[in-house]
Amino acid sequence: MIRLERATKEVRMKGVRKMIIDNVSVTFPRGKSIGLLGRNGAGKSTLLQIIAGTLELDRGRIIRQGKISWPLGFQGSFQGNLSGEQNVRFVARIYGVNTDELVAYVAEFAELGQFYHAPVRTYSSGMKARLAFGVSMGINFDYYLVDEITAVGDTNFKRKSQQTFKEKLSNSDVIMVSHSTGTLRDYCQTGIVLENGQMTYYDDINEAIAVHESNMKRH
Amino acid sequence: MNYLTTHIRIVTAFVIREIATRYGRSPGGYVWALLEPVAFIGLMSLLLGSLGRLPALGTSFTLFYATGYLAFSMYKGMEGYLVSAISGNKALMSYPKVSPFDAVISRFILQAMTSCVVTWIILYAALWTTNQPVTIQWAYIVEAIAFAWIMALGVALGNTVLFFKFPLYQKIFDIVMRPLFLLSGVFYVPSHMPHPFSDVLLANPITQVVVLFRDGFYVQHGDTGLDMPFLITTSAGLLFVGMLLFTVFPVARARE
Repeated sequence: MIRLERATKEVRMKGVRKMIIDNVSVTFPRGKSIGLLGRNGAGKSTLLQIIAGTLELDRGRIIRQGKISWPLGFQGSFQGNLSGEQNVRFVARIYGVNTDELVAYVAEFAELGQFYHAPVRTYSSGMKARLAFGVSMGINFDYYLVDEITAVGDTNFKRKSQQTFKEKLSNSDVIMVSHSTGTLRDYCQTGIVLENGQMTYYDDINEAIAVHESNMKRH
Repeated sequence: MNYLTTHIRIVTAFVIREIATRYGRSPGGYVWALLEPVAFIGLMSLLLGSLGRLPALGTSFTLFYATGYLAFSMYKGMEGYLVSAISGNKALMSYPKVSPFDAVISRFILQAMTSCVVTWIILYAALWTTNQPVTIQWAYIVEAIAFAWIMALGVALGNTVLFFKFPLYQKIFDIVMRPLFLLSGVFYVPSHMPHPFSDVLLANPITQVVVLFRDGFYVQHGDTGLDMPFLITTSAGLLFVGMLLFTVFPVARARE
């Protein structure tokens, strides 16, 4: 369960202030995947960062029960001079999982062959993405955070990733930001619409999508 | 899981990563941590040694410059490495588990270990090549290193915030600090300088570190200009202000 209590967050970018959430209280129940909807710049990604804990609230508090992932497929942490394997070891150490197990899992999942032991800077963008996705799948979280799911690799790899991720979701939930309503319907059961600093929770993702779409038509 | 063991684990992971990447691109890797000061001290001893017959203290130019330069590096090396701990690991702040302080602490530990090993090797070699009798007083040496590290930590933590908030301040700080090396008593003895200058030089806390460090190697008669109360208050003050800024302004995860 994740709960926001009277949470307020305002961001300042180049002198422009923007209220992302204004005195919001909402509970994300465990056991249901949630789609986050809102117009461009409404603060969906900021909200994900707040949930992850990489961004502090201005006021109010957030209560998290369960292990929350970093954004799925995040590859910014890969050090170019280290090999794929060394980078995986680093993440394993941070998250306190068995390093050898994770290294072996990613080796099999990402299908990098000899490149697994080569510096990441020699990787193609597709190889990097496969490595990143493999690491995300190799650690078990209660909540997976997804900011725009991007399919990587060839058809076979795409099918495998999708299958693995769906399997994960039998025990875990996903909190997902996506502009594709199809993807949201596919992965999420419930939805939250972020509009004018207010968050509204809907038990049914289809209802959330309908509200979001009528919001978009209004302006 | 226990909060402390989690962070010990994360810091360990950071240290291993830093070791692998710090000198990643230069051929020879970590050996440069030793070669740099060796080359510098050797060059100074050669150039400045050829100008006079005796150094300001003792009879060995190498020992005199090595003690000065290594004491100075205890501060400068630490400060320079720590101040980029956050900006250099910005991407890793996206892992919710990682606290910004982990990055700082792991760099502190790595730099502390590195500079101790490097200092020990160089001083051992310098003492071995000199025939000047030396009585080492460990207490002074350890104190000097501790003060240097505490000040470096304070300055780096504070500057991490200030550099982020005021890019112009960073430029000014860099320019103002450039002559620090010349003003820290590395290749002269501050108390031997003519009166008004000696006081100015001794008002620099890094000079005080160098003086204290050298006290561990040279028995001197008369006033060396060491001011322990000043050194203690400055170190504590810098650390306090640095930690306060770092805690109050969470710049580590702020967007550029």
